[in-house]
Amino acid sequence: MKNPKIKKYLFYIILFCILPGIMVLFSSMAAFSNDQGVASKIKKATSKLDKATQVEQSIPLPKNIVKATVEYQGGTFFTQARKNEIKRFQCSSCHNNKKVLINNAADMSHADIKVLHGNKGKPLSCDTCHNKDDRDFLVSSTTDKIDLDHVYDMCGQCHFRQKKDWIGGAHGKRVTYWAGERVVKNCTSCHNPHSPRFEKQWPKTYSVPLK
Amino acid sequence: MDSDKKKKINRRTFLKGAASAAIAGSTAVTAGCKGKGLLGSSEAFALEFKEYFKKHYRLMTPTERQQTVTRLEKLAKLRQDINVNIDTTGPAENVLYGYAFNVTRCEGYMECVKACVKENNLDRKSNTQYIRIFEMEHGQMSPDQGDGKYFHMVPKEGHFYMGVQCFQCENPPCVKACPTKATWKEKDGIVVVDYDWCIGCRYCMAACPYWGRRFNWNQPEIPKEEVTTQQHYLGNRQRVRGMMEKCTFCIQRSRKGKVTACVEACPTGARVFGNLLDPDSEIRFVLENKKVYRLKEDLGTDPKFWYFID
Amino acid sequence: MKKDMASKGLLSFAKDTLLWNLSGSIGYQIYLCILVCLMLTGVYGYFIQFKLGLSATNMSNIVSWGFYISNFTFLVGVAAAAVMLILPSYVFGDKDLHKVVIIGEVVAVGALVMCMTFVFVDLGRPLQFWHLIPGIGQLNFPSSLLAWDILVLNGYLALNALVPAYIVYCHYQGKEPVGKYYKPFVFISIGWAVAIHMITAFLYQGLPARPFWNNPLLGPRFLASAFAAGPAIISLVLHIVNSTTDYKIDNKIFNKLRIIIVSAAVINLLMLFSEIFKEFYFPTHHSQSAMYLFFGLEGHDSLVPWIWTAISINLLGTLILAFNPFKERQIFLLPALVMLIVGIWLEKGIGLIVPGLVPSPMGEIISYSPSNVELFITLGVVGLGMFVVTVLLKPALIIEKRYEDRHLTD
Repeated sequence: MKNPKIKKYLFYIILFCILPGIMVLFSSMAAFSNDQGVASKIKKATSKLDKATQVEQSIPLPKNIVKATVEYQGGTFFTQARKNEIKRFQCSSCHNNKKVLINNAADMSHADIKVLHGNKGKPLSCDTCHNKDDRDFLVSSTTDKIDLDHVYDMCGQCHFRQKKDWIGGAHGKRVTYWAGERVVKNCTSCHNPHSPRFEKQWPKTYSVPLK
Repeated sequence: MDSDKKKKINRRTFLKGAASAAIAGSTAVTAGCKGKGLLGSSEAFALEFKEYFKKHYRLMTPTERQQTVTRLEKLAKLRQDINVNIDTTGPAENVLYGYAFNVTRCEGYMECVKACVKENNLDRKSNTQYIRIFEMEHGQMSPDQGDGKYFHMVPKEGHFYMGVQCFQCENPPCVKACPTKATWKEKDGIVVVDYDWCIGCRYCMAACPYWGRRFNWNQPEIPKEEVTTQQHYLGNRQRVRGMMEKCTFCIQRSRKGKVTACVEACPTGARVFGNLLDPDSEIRFVLENKKVYRLKEDLGTDPKFWYFID
Repeated sequence: MKKDMASKGLLSFAKDTLLWNLSGSIGYQIYLCILVCLMLTGVYGYFIQFKLGLSATNMSNIVSWGFYISNFTFLVGVAAAAVMLILPSYVFGDKDLHKVVIIGEVVAVGALVMCMTFVFVDLGRPLQFWHLIPGIGQLNFPSSLLAWDILVLNGYLALNALVPAYIVYCHYQGKEPVGKYYKPFVFISIGWAVAIHMITAFLYQGLPARPFWNNPLLGPRFLASAFAAGPAIISLVLHIVNSTTDYKIDNKIFNKLRIIIVSAAVINLLMLFSEIFKEFYFPTHHSQSAMYLFFGLEGHDSLVPWIWTAISINLLGTLILAFNPFKERQIFLLPALVMLIVGIWLEKGIGLIVPGLVPSPMGEIISYSPSNVELFITLGVVGLGMFVVTVLLKPALIIEKRYEDRHLTD
């Protein structure tokens, strides 16, 4: 008595189990058919892009920059000029063969500079970096002159890993625009060359416990 | 006699029921009107009325987009007396944004958090922050072992810092979960939210494995002088309570070629941002030359945010 | 003055229904007033929530779903449980349970109304609900499980409201309902009931971001707990109907329901044990949620007493119902039923939703307990559900009783 009844509706029951099953199948197929991952997209993108067309508007170049003497993967790039940020630059205005005829020369001398660069207790001497023959420049360990705007050549003698990273972009900071011509901060834009390590400070803000 | 008494009782109970229904109904209506604040200026009401019926952003024609932007700019002037400029720039060709975070260089200064809050007009009342910085002990890698609520001189001995935010997944679980398609991944890789289309069900929030999404539990409050007026429809425009929001890689900045606010603010240069499809970009250099990793990679979300160590 | 049954139409049906709902003993009037008061409490709570936004609740960016969704989860199960009456009576031709199918379906309708109201009050922008309607809005079907859930819940509401409405209306007119009009829908609703609860379970199960939910046992567990708690609630309603109206329900029916409840409750406990084993045999990072639920984490242990109480009374209720010390007087089993219902409500509601969300994906832990606004609104919604059940059940039972009497005398 019961069996014919079930048989009658068995068709409907099975139909309404198969239909949702098919829908689930199709939706899961849709789920798995999305684009390939980021890695394959990156692998495919090997052709160089025109810097100017990456965004719709033209990108202004910041002022006070110099072209770096090294190249990176995209060609040449710019870095921030440092000479006009130094208060007492042209060093040769004092440091020349003439006698120093300035009042309070002691106050104005560089006694305020503490050198915390190098090992503890055995910091670098001034002559390690500053050129004895021409105070407007720095000196490399191969006695070449280094311009203060291209101080990365100086720092890169010891910190060659950071220099390599800085040229590529893993160290340091790009200035304001990711598109257009590449402008990055110079070493001394962030690091005080006499005391390069960043100071400890309080965080600028805090996160609240959530209820 | 008996049936008359029964009838009386019936009428009495009917009136009782009708009265309480009327009270309930009128309370609901006044609650609705008062709660919505629609008893404000009639011009603002007219603009909001039109805004209520608008389409999904992706289905709008450029004219309709311009119309809604005009309405929103007018509403900002009427309600808060500020002049905003809402942008609708679309994604550029051959651009896929990527982000890298240098775990060695982060010192926990949280300047990125502060800049993000200012740039994206985040609610000051509930201290909403898209970015969260975790103070980790050496020997751990996962941010859920770290402390996100530190407030002392940084960096602390024996600890390092890493930040998390929405990672703009290439296979985003939040996009799959949204019942109204209010969130989607744009062509340049940013996962965006059409705030006005969102109904606030918070399913995307449950679906995100990185705690990348935020909900406006209350009406956002931002001091007038701190509002960033250069806005994008899908980015930092004024949001209302009941909507989801998230980090959009500063879409109002990045689509104009600028780096994001967090990248700009970081004093140690721990954050790298750029175009993944440009083989000359810094982000590509980082991915090819440094040891990079992503969080919760086993979940298959394919995020476009990498961590690396110097 | 015998009225001519055949001339009764829709208008007379509506009028009679209204009168039947408003008339009754003084106890019934007081009960209706209490329900209206509960609903007004809910309206007051919602007024506050509408003014302040969802910050009036205790939900936050970590516990983004709370008391409302917990109750929604539990009540979808109760709605699905009507199938446990329909299946025996229509497929296996059980005459006893056929008598009470209508009550089961009315309870399902009440539960579904409560579910939809809970979702509505939980939304951040409920006025934008039209964004979900396919055609004028955008429904993310088939990707989003919430979209599936909306469709199946509304479909089930239609099935469970229209089929009994048709049958009752035919009985009101003294006619026999035409089998081929409604029987296919009854059979559809059997599969549909299982579907609604599995889909609601998949809502949670499909999120790899939440390891507490992302296990294959969640769907079957939901069904087991629904088929224990749902018929238990239906049993309670039947006890109330039996003692307050003249629609008498035989002890055999209670016994059959008891067997259904016990089977489902035992399976539920078995699945619970399986989950506990998985979490605690070799605790991993993914077991943090279970640790938070059962033992507390970092000092946050507000859920611990609730879950242990829930499991104990669940177990106790199941044992009492299984061994049935009160052979004839089923009414003494009421406390056991209540214990089972409350136990499952706690474990499946707050004991599932909150631990799933804590710790957050970034490892942060907070406590959650419903705020006053949430409690007020919940009371209102529960009042609304009971009101819907009462308003639908009273006329239906009167019509059924009259139809039965007429058929017995004929």
